[in-house]
Amino acid sequence: MSALVVARWTVLEARRRRLLLAGALLSVAFVALFVVGFYLLYRTQQRALLQEQAQGAGPAGGLDGREELLAMSTILVILGLYGVQFLAALLGLFLGVASVSPEIDSGALHAVLARPLSRLQYLMGRFLALAGLLTVYVVVMSGALLLTARVVAGYQPGDALRVVGLMVLQVLILLAVSLLGSTVLPTLANGVVMLILFGLAWLGGIIGFVGTIPPGNELMANLGTAVSLLLPADAVWRGASYHVLPPSFLVASSFAGGGGDLEFGVPFGSVTPMAPAMLAWAVAYPVACLALAVAAFRRRDL
Amino acid sequence: MSRTASTEQATAVAGTGSEVPAIATSGLRKAYGARVALHDLTLRVQPGEVFGFLGPNGAGKTTAMKILLGLVRPSGGEALVFGRPPGEPAARRRVGYLPEHFRFQEWATGEELLDFHGRLAGMGAAERAERIPELLERVGLAGRGGERVRRYSKGMTQRLGLALALLHRPDLVMLDEPTSALDPVGRREVRELVRELADAGVTVFLNSHLLTEVEAVCDRVAIVSQGRVVASGPLDDLAGAVTQLRVLADRVDRQLLALLGRYGEVARVEGTAVTLAVGTLDVAPELARLLVTSGYRLYGLVPVQRSLEDIFVDLVGEVREG
Repeated sequence: MSALVVARWTVLEARRRRLLLAGALLSVAFVALFVVGFYLLYRTQQRALLQEQAQGAGPAGGLDGREELLAMSTILVILGLYGVQFLAALLGLFLGVASVSPEIDSGALHAVLARPLSRLQYLMGRFLALAGLLTVYVVVMSGALLLTARVVAGYQPGDALRVVGLMVLQVLILLAVSLLGSTVLPTLANGVVMLILFGLAWLGGIIGFVGTIPPGNELMANLGTAVSLLLPADAVWRGASYHVLPPSFLVASSFAGGGGDLEFGVPFGSVTPMAPAMLAWAVAYPVACLALAVAAFRRRDL
Repeated sequence: MSRTASTEQATAVAGTGSEVPAIATSGLRKAYGARVALHDLTLRVQPGEVFGFLGPNGAGKTTAMKILLGLVRPSGGEALVFGRPPGEPAARRRVGYLPEHFRFQEWATGEELLDFHGRLAGMGAAERAERIPELLERVGLAGRGGERVRRYSKGMTQRLGLALALLHRPDLVMLDEPTSALDPVGRREVRELVRELADAGVTVFLNSHLLTEVEAVCDRVAIVSQGRVVASGPLDDLAGAVTQLRVLADRVDRQLLALLGRYGEVARVEGTAVTLAVGTLDVAPELARLLVTSGYRLYGLVPVQRSLEDIFVDLVGEVREG
C-alpha cells in the first residue's frame, strides 16, 4: 500500500515538474517528423520505381522494386525506433538518476522516511511509477512509428510485440541501474557514471557488430559481448531490432547466403536474434540492480 | 546535579510505573569513520513527558534524533521507541517528526504534502479531509495550503513542518530545533503548542540550543556536548542544584572575603557585590548577623538561582577545555 502511495506521489511530481508535458510535446514532434519523413521518402521512392518500370528497365542489382521498397522501409523503421529507444534510454537514465539522491541531498526524504514506510517500499514506489511512465512512453512512441509504417507502406514487422517488449526491457534496465546509482552516489557523480556506462554499452554494440562483418573477428565479437554484460541495454535494443525485420526479409536473407545483396547489416541494428543467455541476463539484470539498490539504501544513513 | 547516565536513569525511573518508555536508549553510539558523533547515550523518556535535549551545534542532538527515527543506523548500543527498534516501520507509526532543516518537496502544495504524509501515516480519506484544514489553521497557515511550498517563506515552511509532525495525532513528537526560522511571536506560538501537546498527554522530545525555549516548556533536560550527556535531570534540580547568595555590602575587603569564605565559595566579585556559592540558603540569617556585628553595612543579601544558561555555559565550557 505504502509503495503505491509513493508511486502516486512520484507521478504527481512528474506532472508538477512539467516532465509529462515536455515529454509529450517533444514526442509528438518526433513522431510527426517520422510520419512526414517516412511518407515523403516512401512516396518518392515508389514513384521513381514506377517510372523505371514504365521505361522498361529491369530490376537493378537483383532486387525487384517491391524488395527495394521493403528494404528501405525496414531501414527507416529501424532508424525511427533507434531514435525512440535513444530518447527513452536517456529519459530512463535521467529519471533514475533523479529518483533518490536529489531527495536525500535536499533533505526532503527525512520527513518521508520517518513515516511508517520501509526503504524497500519507498524504492519500489519510485521504481513502479517511473517504470510505468517509461513503459507508456515506449509503447506509445514505438506503436506510433510501427503504425505509420503499416499505414503508409503496408509494412509488417517480424514480431511487433517482441520489438516493443524488448524496448521496454531496455529502458527498465537503464532505469534500474541508474536508480541503484542514485542510492549510493551523489546525483552529479551518478549522472556521469551512467552516461559513461551507457556510452560504453553503445560502443560495445558497435565493436560487436564490427566483429561480425565477414570474415569475422572473434576477439571483437567477444569484447562486444563482454561490454554488453556490463550493461545489456544496447544488446537488448539489437535484439529488438531483429524482430523489426519483416519475415519475408529474413527468409530471403537466409536463402541469399553469405555475400548476397540482402546480407546487409546496419551498425545500429542486428540481423541475428538475441542469444537466449543474453536475454536471460538482460531480464535478471534490472532485478539484481533493484535488489542491490534496496540493500544499499537500507544501510544508508540520511 | 546528576552528571552520569546511571543516576539519570535512576531519577527517570523513579516515580513512573512499569509503563513502556516512549524513548529508551542504552549505550547508543554513532561514528562516521573516525569522527564520533554520539558517545554512549543512555536516556529514558516516559510517556507524557516534555524532554529537552540541549546542546551546542554539532553536539550530536540531531544524530540521536535520527537514530530514534530509523534514519541513521547506530554504530553500537540500543534504541527503542515505545519498546520497538526504530528501524521497524511499525515503530514509527505513533511518531511525528519535524526535521532540523524542514525541507520538503518544493513542487507540491502544502495541502498535497499533508495529504501525502497522511496517506503514508495510514489516515483515511475522511480523516485527512477533516484534519488537514484544521491543522493548517492551527499552525497559522490557513488559506495558504493551496500554494506551492517553493513560494513559502522559511517561517511558513517550518510551520508546515509542524503541521506534518502533528498530522496523525502522534503519541510522540520529535522536534529538531522547531523555532529556528520563527520570529519571537512564532516562537511563543510554538511554546504554547508544545504545552498543549503536553496537556493532551503527548510525549515531546525537543532538540534545541535555545535555552529559553527549553526552560519554558521542558519537564526534564539532558545537556549534551561533543556527543556525551554532561548533565541531565528535572529542570528544577539542574537549575537549583547550586545555590548562590549575592551579598551587597558597603565595602569589599580581604576580611570580608575571608569571612564569606567560611560559609561558601566566592564565585565572583563585582564592585561591592560578591556572589557566594553556598550549600544551603539556611546560612543566610547567620551570615547577615555576622556581617553586621563585624561592622559592615549590609545593603542586600539575595538568593540567586542559576539560570540554565549559566549551567549550560559552565558544563559545555568544561567539556571544551577538557
